Amino acid sequence: MKSQRRCGCSNFFLACAFTIFLGGAAAAKTIILDDSGTQALDPAVALHWKSVAPGRSGNSNLMLGTATFRVRIDVAPWLKRNARIYLVLPAQQPGPLSVSWTSQGKLLPGQLQSGNRTLVYSGAISGPFLEDQLTFEFDVDGALVKRAFPVNFQFVMDE
Amino acid sequence: MQTLLSPSARGSARGNRTRLRQRTLGAACVAVCGSAWGFTATLSPASPQTIYLQVGVGSATGDYINGGQMERDTTVNTVSVTVAASALGTGAAQAMTTNSTAVVSYWDGYTYCSVPGQVYIGGFFRTTGATTSPAQVTATVPAALTDITGDSLPFSKITWTSSGNGDTGTEIFPGGTFVNGGTQSVGTMSSNTWNESCWTFSLVNNSMLAAGSYSGTVVYTMTAP
Repeated sequence: MKSQRRCGCSNFFLACAFTIFLGGAAAAKTIILDDSGTQALDPAVALHWKSVAPGRSGNSNLMLGTATFRVRIDVAPWLKRNARIYLVLPAQQPGPLSVSWTSQGKLLPGQLQSGNRTLVYSGAISGPFLEDQLTFEFDVDGALVKRAFPVNFQFVMDE
Repeated sequence: MQTLLSPSARGSARGNRTRLRQRTLGAACVAVCGSAWGFTATLSPASPQTIYLQVGVGSATGDYINGGQMERDTTVNTVSVTVAASALGTGAAQAMTTNSTAVVSYWDGYTYCSVPGQVYIGGFFRTTGATTSPAQVTATVPAALTDITGDSLPFSKITWTSSGNGDTGTEIFPGGTFVNGGTQSVGTMSSNTWNESCWTFSLVNNSMLAAGSYSGTVVYTMTAP
C-alpha cells in the first residue's frame, strides 16, 4: 500500500510535467513578415568556381556568388514592442547550400545553412519598417548547379 | 494582407481590441498565404566549364592551392634517343629522354616527375551538375618517323610506361604503344578532378635501321563532353 501511494504520486508529477510541456509548445507561433518592400540590387547571382582547378580527389567543387538586397520589413504591428526576427533559408531545390551575409548595422550579420534560420534582429521595434542592406555570399556545390535556380528567403518572428 | 499587418489604432480600449483582432486575422492569413512574402535570388553558373591539358612544359602564375592560375604555353617538347651502332637491333629497349623541364604539379607544387626521363601529362575539366562522362585525351600520330632521305621508322616502335612520385594504383594516363598513323586514346579525365601522370618513353630496338635522324610529331588533344 505504501509503495502504491508512492507510485501514484510519481505518476501525478510526470503527468503534470508532460501537460505543461505541451501547453508551452502550442503557444509558440511563427509569423512570416511582410518584406515586400525588399529590393534586389543585383537579382541575378553569377556563380563562379571557388577554385578554378579541381583537387586530386575531386572535393573542391564549391561555387560562390554574391548578391545585395535592400531589405525592408514591415514591423508596424509590433511597434513599441520587443521582437526577435529571424532570416529563414528554407530547404529547397536543387539541394543544400550555405549563405553568409554582412549588413550595414540595423540587422545582424550571420550565416545560414538551408533548412535553418538565424536571428537577425532582437530588440524594440521603434519604427514601422526595419531597413538595411544585406550582401549575401552563396556557397553551393557545383554538382548541384546545372542551370539557373531561385533561392528563397523569408523573415519570420516568433510571437 | 498588408492592410491587416499595418499599424493599428492605439491608446484606446477599442483600439486595443481592434489590434488584437487584426493580429489574429493576420496570423490566420499568414498560415494560408504567407508564402507570398519573402525574397528571391536567382543563382546561375557564370563560367561552368573549363578545360586544361598540359603535356610536357606548362605555365602557371603559381600553384593552384596558393591562388595560381594556369596560362597558355605553346612549347613543343621533344623526346629523343641516340642509339649507338653497336646497340642497334639488339632487342634491348632504348630509354628516351626529354627536353621538358616539367617536374612539379601545378596543383600544389609537388615534385611529381623526374627529368630528363619523364614527360609530365596532366589536366582537368570543370563542369557543373552531376558527374558527366569523362573527357577524352587522344594522340594524333603520324604513320612513321622519317629522316631527310626518306627512310622511315614506324611510330609503333615507341612505347611508354606511366608512373609518378608517390603514385599507387592505376595511372590516369596509362602506358601504351603508339599506333602507326591515326588517333588513339591515351587516357580519360573524370569531371572536376585533377589528373596527372609521368610518362617514360622508350624505343623498341628489335630491328636494323638506316643511319639517320628520324623525327615525327604527335599532337595531344583533350575533348570534354
